[in-house]
Amino acid sequence: MPDLFVPESLDDAIGFLAEHAGSATPIAGGTDVMIDTRLGRVSPEWLVDLSRLGSLLDRQIDGEVLRLGALTTIRSIELDPQLARRAAALVEAARVLGSVQIRTMATIGGNLCHATPSAEMPPALLVHDAVAQTAGPGGERSMPLGELFAGPGRTTLEPGELLTAVSLRVPASAAGSCYLRQTVRWSMDLAGVGVAAAVEVAGTTVTRARIALGAVAPVPLLVGEAAEAVVGTALSAEDADRAGACAAAACSPISDARGTAEYRRQVVAVLVPRALRVSWLRATGSWPTGMPAPINGVLSSDAP
Amino acid sequence: MRRRAIGIHVWVKARGRAAEAPDGRSAIAAEEGTPAEPPEALRVVGRRLPKLDAPQKVAGKTVYAEDLRMSGMLVAAILRSPHAHARIVSIDVSAAQQLPGVHAAIHAGNVEQRPFGYNSDNIPLKPDRVRFIGDEVAAVAAIDEETARRAIELIRVEYEVLPAGYDPFEALNGTSTPIHDELPDISGNVAMRWDFDDGDVDSAAAQAAVIVEGHYSSPQAAPAPIETHVVVASFDPDGHLTVWSPVHMVFMYRKELADCLGLDWQRITVIQPPVGGSFGGKIDIDPHDFITVMLARQARRPVRLVMSREEEFIGTRTRQPIHFRMRTGADAEGNLLFREAEVVSDNGAYNGWGSHAMLVAMNTVSSMYRVPNSRVRCAVVYTNKNYGGSVRGFGNPQATFAVEQQMEELADALGIDPMDLRLRNANQSGDVTPQGMEITSCGLSECLEIVREQSGWDERRGRMRERHRGLGAAAFIHVGGGARIYGSDGCGAMVKVDDSGQVTLITGASELGQGSETVLAMIVAEEIGVPLAALHVVNSDTDVKPWDVGVHASRTTFVAGNAARMAAAKVRDELLETASEVLGAPIDQLSIRDGTVEVAGEPERRMDYARLVRRRLLRQKGSVVMATAFYDPPTQMQENHRGNISAAYGFGAHVAEVEVDPGTGMVRLLNLWTAHDVGRAINPMSCEGQIEGGAAMGIGLALSEELVIFDGKIAAPNLHDYGLPTAMDVPRIVVNLVETIDPRGPFGAKGVGEAGIIPPAAAIANAIADATGIRPRAYPMRPWKVKEWIDTNERSIVSRNAGSGGA
Repeated sequence: MPDLFVPESLDDAIGFLAEHAGSATPIAGGTDVMIDTRLGRVSPEWLVDLSRLGSLLDRQIDGEVLRLGALTTIRSIELDPQLARRAAALVEAARVLGSVQIRTMATIGGNLCHATPSAEMPPALLVHDAVAQTAGPGGERSMPLGELFAGPGRTTLEPGELLTAVSLRVPASAAGSCYLRQTVRWSMDLAGVGVAAAVEVAGTTVTRARIALGAVAPVPLLVGEAAEAVVGTALSAEDADRAGACAAAACSPISDARGTAEYRRQVVAVLVPRALRVSWLRATGSWPTGMPAPINGVLSSDAP
Repeated sequence: MRRRAIGIHVWVKARGRAAEAPDGRSAIAAEEGTPAEPPEALRVVGRRLPKLDAPQKVAGKTVYAEDLRMSGMLVAAILRSPHAHARIVSIDVSAAQQLPGVHAAIHAGNVEQRPFGYNSDNIPLKPDRVRFIGDEVAAVAAIDEETARRAIELIRVEYEVLPAGYDPFEALNGTSTPIHDELPDISGNVAMRWDFDDGDVDSAAAQAAVIVEGHYSSPQAAPAPIETHVVVASFDPDGHLTVWSPVHMVFMYRKELADCLGLDWQRITVIQPPVGGSFGGKIDIDPHDFITVMLARQARRPVRLVMSREEEFIGTRTRQPIHFRMRTGADAEGNLLFREAEVVSDNGAYNGWGSHAMLVAMNTVSSMYRVPNSRVRCAVVYTNKNYGGSVRGFGNPQATFAVEQQMEELADALGIDPMDLRLRNANQSGDVTPQGMEITSCGLSECLEIVREQSGWDERRGRMRERHRGLGAAAFIHVGGGARIYGSDGCGAMVKVDDSGQVTLITGASELGQGSETVLAMIVAEEIGVPLAALHVVNSDTDVKPWDVGVHASRTTFVAGNAARMAAAKVRDELLETASEVLGAPIDQLSIRDGTVEVAGEPERRMDYARLVRRRLLRQKGSVVMATAFYDPPTQMQENHRGNISAAYGFGAHVAEVEVDPGTGMVRLLNLWTAHDVGRAINPMSCEGQIEGGAAMGIGLALSEELVIFDGKIAAPNLHDYGLPTAMDVPRIVVNLVETIDPRGPFGAKGVGEAGIIPPAAAIANAIADATGIRPRAYPMRPWKVKEWIDTNERSIVSRNAGSGGA
């Protein structure tokens, strides 16, 4: 088992990680790192415990921009009533990630830096125009979140560089977002396909749209062309379906134990219009405040 | 009020109310003459009681095999084959042996071992050939896990890879490379063929108004208990071996250990610690059991093997995929005329008991409903994959998936309600099925009627498709009074009462978490007439307990329960004999109730039973109060697949309600209504738990569980990808217990251990068909498969015979 280093400051953490590049792995909630270590997928000599770095825990809103420290737990996102109103996709992604126990430990930074193609948080953050903020030996920098991901399990972080926060755009009104997914089980599952959408609406017209996909490419994808397809429309069923078809064409899924590539494309084409529809209803005030969408976007009437 | 079981009384306990529904049908005479007490006459049996071991488990105080520690104990690790099929050219363990901390490094070249298993087609450490990814090649015992792991990495094995066969139909057709060409009786890769014929299927087919046909299949699935396989082995200095292992069949396990390793079986003690789940996965003895003993022998130290979760998936037995090509035909009124099936069991690299799952499948094909003509062609084939075991339900969920879908396909083709079709053809008390199964108590029709009513079947089936919702049903037949597959299907019991009044039941049965300890204690308490608190159950040690076949085939309540009841009756008689002397009253005027002996009509003449024990014991020429019994059910080994294999049969019916998302293929199970003929619920809470737990497993089979195998390799051997259902996947399960008071069961009880798992996959498939119009023919019905069936418009295959004047 690796040894543990517990830095008291961000600089200490960065210094240690830079010095032990390749042999030290940062650990926050540990919900991925511990599994990877036990299964021998990684075998670091050092784990660098980030839990004492209070600056990575902040959460502040400044107008339309919300900054979430990298140590923000998934559970705290799930339970945040303000986020439920202004970043519903993020809350929906949070509430389907693992179990309550896992969400209580897991952090947003860990979920992003593990760079799993099917991870829940990236698509939800991407549709909120998230920006990744990092600190490393070369100082601080910011980049659009999409640029953080290099491939399955790989990020563009430099040796010694840490993700410190993500900033996202959370308009207070006339905007809505949604995260849906396809799974085998109805909980405790990874997404076979994850779809996030966000729209901003003026009157009866979409003025801005974002669509992001998980689990259908080596990295989480923001599909700009699909989103553009609904801007300027009143989001009719045809408009939404067109965006779905466009998104399906833009992704590059693989076939594996969780479904075939062909099936995943079909599901993208189905879930994108549904996510757009829920986002639209939220943006236009037609969706009950704080109510999450069903996992696959289908509303079940109550069983007898 | 006491009543004899002359006819069969049906106590229908639905939704918590008890009502008696007399049953006019004839019954097989109750040769054991078991009295059928009405519930109000019983003091312990029929009460809802928590399991006796629950407080200990809830408090985390139960000591499982994995918790055992002994001075000098080593840990074991196994090197497994990375190839699906290969010749072993050489094995070199010298580097492992030289690693400090390693006390034994074994392989086929430095141990004594013999083949084991059905057909003797398996051997613990493979000498010259490996046949699946996970096959055992070498093993080490070392001071700790880290050292053991490093030692395993130091073992060098040279393989010559052979062509591997994964497809059961290639195995059947003889186009795959022979896997067991060393066995003289095996040709190609067909391990076994079993055929059954009854009546004249071809004539019946010519007369049928409607015939449905299809190919139904199931995947490789895992029992996936929370406790993985664990073995601890230790030799005394005098050579006596003690093995602690969470197994089902301690006596057979001991015999197989001795036979394979050349040990004297009189000098082996097998102790079964509390079991952390098995679901049949721990029935067969496995290579790792022998390997742990061989390591302990070579290291001269106690050795403990604990399988990792990954090893549990890769290296232990699975539920075998079974493929059914089936046809069922009926006349225009809906009377079944024939059923025929070609069945292929893809049992993997070795046989074991898993090959016999096919026989249970055959029972269901021939005997579920009254089928006047049947033809079953079974083949068990070898493939280079993990091999099949005896997982809960043992072939029956697979068979019921085919049989019960065809019932609804047939009903729809005939324009008859599927429930009416089932009721018309339902098995009844007094029936003898084509395979010679003698049906004593049978509550199938009652079960069907209960779930029909509760689900709103008549008003709702076929009327919810625009909302993508549907209802589907499935019923089952399963052994409920033992299953004779061995010279004896018996179980021994000893009951003693000591001077404190403590009543100890020493039973051959094994507690697996299913609650047998509690149920057997209740039976003894009831029979003697003492409070349950006086009972103590001993059931874990071959040195102490009388012989039993072991836990399988839902037999423990029935077989061990009858044995316990017989021994308890003898103890009661001894107590009454002493009471007669002490109280000066004739025995037939005496009874024991709540621990007090009473004289009929004279309430002041009474005595505590414990005082009677002391009066009997503490005197010149005194005696202990103790009795033994052995119960072997009145059944037959089947010959040519005919014979009454079980002393009673369990029945039941489920209705599932689903909502299908046609866009993604995701299926949400909304409701599951169940009704089970349990004979009598000794402990209704325990029965409900068994049925709910079984149904949850059945839901997992139906919708999510699968060991996905690519080129012989389990793609993701972990609990996450395997897909056990979570609380979010299992809806409210309504359980109705139908009490038919079986004439042979203890207090009328029948087995219920496997029952719940059997119908859900079939019921859910039928519900998906009702919701969408498509016909699912394989499970698990994972979303992409449902989507594919919808897109390809998979339908029933129906042929109609104009000449028959049919529909």
